[in-house]
Formats: sequence, C-alpha cells, structure tokens
Amino acid sequence: MRPLVLTLVSLWSLATPTWAQAPPQADTYQVPYRLTETKHVLVRVKINGHGPFHFLIDTGAPALFVATAVGKKVGVAPDTRGWATFKRFEIEGGVVIENARGRLDDPFQLEGMNKLGLAGVELHGVIGYNLLARYKLEFDFTRPTMTWTRLQYEPPEPTGLGRASAGLEGIALLVRMLSGLLARDTKVEIKPRGLLGMELEETAEGVWVRAVLANGPADRAGLKSGDRLVAVRGRAVARVGDVHRRLASVGPDEDVSLTLVRQGKAMTLTVTTGRGL
Amino acid sequence: MRAVYWAVLGLGLVPTVAGGQAPPAKPVTVPFELLRSKHMVVRVKLNGKGPYRLLFDTGAPLNVIGVQAARESGLLTKTARPPAFFLAAPKPVAIPLVELGELKAEKVPAMIMDHPAVAALSQAFGPIDGILGFPFFARYRMTLDYQASEMTFVPNGYEPPDVLEALMAALLAPEPKGPRVVAAAGLWGFTVEKPDGDTQPGVVVKEVYAGGAAAAGGLKPGDRLLTLGGHWTDSVADCHYAASALPPGQAHPVIVRRQQQEIRLSLTPRPGL
Repeated sequence: MRPLVLTLVSLWSLATPTWAQAPPQADTYQVPYRLTETKHVLVRVKINGHGPFHFLIDTGAPALFVATAVGKKVGVAPDTRGWATFKRFEIEGGVVIENARGRLDDPFQLEGMNKLGLAGVELHGVIGYNLLARYKLEFDFTRPTMTWTRLQYEPPEPTGLGRASAGLEGIALLVRMLSGLLARDTKVEIKPRGLLGMELEETAEGVWVRAVLANGPADRAGLKSGDRLVAVRGRAVARVGDVHRRLASVGPDEDVSLTLVRQGKAMTLTVTTGRGL
Repeated sequence: MRAVYWAVLGLGLVPTVAGGQAPPAKPVTVPFELLRSKHMVVRVKLNGKGPYRLLFDTGAPLNVIGVQAARESGLLTKTARPPAFFLAAPKPVAIPLVELGELKAEKVPAMIMDHPAVAALSQAFGPIDGILGFPFFARYRMTLDYQASEMTFVPNGYEPPDVLEALMAALLAPEPKGPRVVAAAGLWGFTVEKPDGDTQPGVVVKEVYAGGAAAAGGLKPGDRLLTLGGHWTDSVADCHYAASALPPGQAHPVIVRRQQQEIRLSLTPRPGL
C-alpha cells in the first residue's frame, strides 16, 4: 500500500512556454476548497456551464488537465495533439478564465486516486501552471477558502509537454496495476440534516431556545422561546455544540426527543424534523 | 475514521479557525526559480547543510529528500542503505532543521528516496535533491506569486496530519454504507427545491420563514439561489454543504436571481438548527 501512496507524489512531464503580458486587473476571489485524504487541494469547476467538476490545484502540473470523459460531456474535442480550448472555465468563488487551454487526458495519478476513492469524490482534472500563474494564490489550511488575486501576467500558451521519463512510465504502470487490485467504491450519497427550526443561545446555565421558526418543526412540536434545553435524544446537553453533535446524523422526517425545562418543570417533546436550513 | 473523513471533507476546518489564532507575524519572503518545465524550485538548507535545490509542489502530499542530500545532511548515516523505492517503502524521518531563506522549520517529516521524476528533472535542469510539499507548506499561510517569482510564509498554527497514516486508515476503512448527513452550521430559516429535469444553475427558494435570518436579509420565495457564501448551490445537497462551512453570527454574501436580475444579499445565519 505504501508504494502506491508514494507514487501519488505528483510530478508531471515537461512543457516549454514563454511569458507574455496581459491588461492589468486587481480582482480578488475567495475560492472554497476541500483537502482530500491525500492532502491535495480540491476545488470545484464549471466548464462551459457544465458541472460542477472536481479539480486539484497542483503547481507540479505544467498545465490544465481535463479528463477525457469531461471533454465529451462539455462538448470539447481535443486537437490532434491532445489539446483543447475551454471557452469558459469557472472556479467556485468567482474565478472565470475565458478560452482556457488545457490537455484532454487521463493522468495515471488521477485514475489511481479515483479507483481508490481517496478524494471522497470523483476527480475530473488538475489545474496547473498555465492557469495558476495568472493569480497570486494564498493557501491557509486554517481558513475555509483560498484567496486568488488576479495578476497582470498572462502565462504563455502551453505547447508540448514532452515525453514522460522511463521511470515515470514505470510508476504509471504500477499505479494502474495496484489501484486496479485495491479498487474500492467510496462514493457517498449526501443527505441534508433535518431542520428543527430553533434558534439557540448558550449561557453559563446551559442552552436556551431563543426563538422558534413560526410553524416550523420545533414550533409544531410545542417548543417555546425561553425553554431551557437539557437533553437531546436522551443525552444531556450543556452547550450549543452538544446539540449539534447529538443531531449530526439526523435526516429529515425523523422523530427526535428533546427534554427541556419550562418554568421549573421538565418535559420531553418529540420533534419531527423537516427539510430546510 | 469518521473524524478523518469529516476533517478531510473540509468540515473540520471551521473549528480549527476558532482554535488556531496564531499571533500575527511578519511574512518571510522567499524567491523561487521557475524551471522551463514550469516547476518551482527553492533553495533549502537541511540541518545547516546545503543549500539544496528542491521542487516546491502543492500537489505533493509528502516531502522527499534524495539519498545523497540525506547522507550529507546526516538524515541517513553514511553506511545505511537507502530503502528501495517500491519494494520496501521507507518510513518518514523528521528533519531537525529546514531553512528556506529566513524561514526556519523544525522536525519536518520527509521520505528519503530518489524519486524518478526528480531524477528526470535533474537531468534536464541541473541537480535537484527532492520535493517540498504539503507537510512543509501547510504550516504556513503561504502565497505564491509567479509574476514576482516569490512566495511568502507566515506561521498559521496548523499542524499538518500524518499523510501516510491518514491514507492507510482511509484505504483500510470499510466502504461507506448509506448516505452521509451534511449539517448546516447555523439556522438560516428557508427551504429550497430542485425540480426534476431542472438543469439550470442554482436551486429554487421554496419557503422563507417569517422572522428568520433569511427573511431578515431579504430572501424571498421564488428566488433562484445561485451562491451561498461564495459556494455554488446547484443542488439541494450542495446548498446544505455550503451552509455546513458558513458559521452563524457572521454575514455571508448570497447571490439570487429574481425576475431576470442577479441580486446580491447579505444573510447572517443564527446559532441553532
């Protein structure tokens, strides 16, 4: 398993473009990202209005790589050398790159990660130098977004990427073999947490219902502003965070018991969760 | 294991913000060299030896130091045989001191190996002795500026997890069963829907609770919700996913389309659920 993991240290083959200038701009964007199990930075992308797709941010890649299946989906065909122009390449958070050049390809690193389900989602490509260099990029894993600031640089059109070395071809073969053997399905369906519809407040005395949404689930179950919440699903709660944790796996249309104290009297009510946020 | 998935999917990042407020420090600026292959190379001292040229790669989950540089800098004893690359994958070592310009980092984990891709680049662009990746740069708020050919670093208090350990755990974990519940971090007070066959961006706002946070910010039933706090909301699940990353008590930008016009609202979710 370790050898396979090591090969995911990404490094790509070679390109030889040159610099060019672009008109000045000073736009700043907050780009949401996720950190995968493999510690790659994952962002969401729309191409020509299709998507969202999942792309890695990789300064070790010389150019944009887009999975061949995605090319088909967005109706972009490669030229004879495997390159394509994507009319509108949009990154979640507001970054828009028009006429982005990229390679339609299925790099072995992505194939391997996809077979192993390591990213938690299917990966559709890699954003490399030719797009990244247009922005000043800020990485900070204590923050939920990256900051991208448009630079005055227009990186050159990527040209050829040269040939992979024999060593890399060997790794590619190995990754394909091993990931085939270890393939696993980790695609997870996402279900929203059920809605209760109660605003909470935390004091030294505990957790208070500050308000309920009119005709929302908590309201219909009889909760009232001023109730002190003492237990959720049979377990004591002292902080708002406790309430979130006790309900973290509850979907819509489920019954949950809430124990509260109202005017000195304890009572337990059952809330049927709703949909919404 | 569950916690790992949680953290990896980005939801773990929010609590880190609250806990990890590092005191503001002056950024350290470090120049980099851009190879013709468009890889970044930095000059790094290992235990006071060097400088060595290392690739700087945000796509690398591990730091890698070549065998010769490891021997010179005392990471590998002169006689110890380097581990074979694929057959017996090495355990990481902790480099006591890594210096990048004025930046000093201690106990930086790295694998000792001659990576074939590094060897290929060395042949083309002169000696390169390894890779600096996630376990190094994640310790900092880091900026990359290709125009100025420099990067900046400010310690951010983040402690990069052990990548290999997390990966092993992930690979050995049972395949997930059933859906994963995504929870909004605050109470917004509205519902959304996405009718079957609707392939347009966004979701439709169905109900806005009177007196709730969304109503207070001007959201209306029938609005087409395009983004929530900068996140795309193209499905109901997306919408909840976005809300999971947006802390209550803070104003978040929200973009809706209402009668052919895009309108920017500011909504402040409240503590609750």
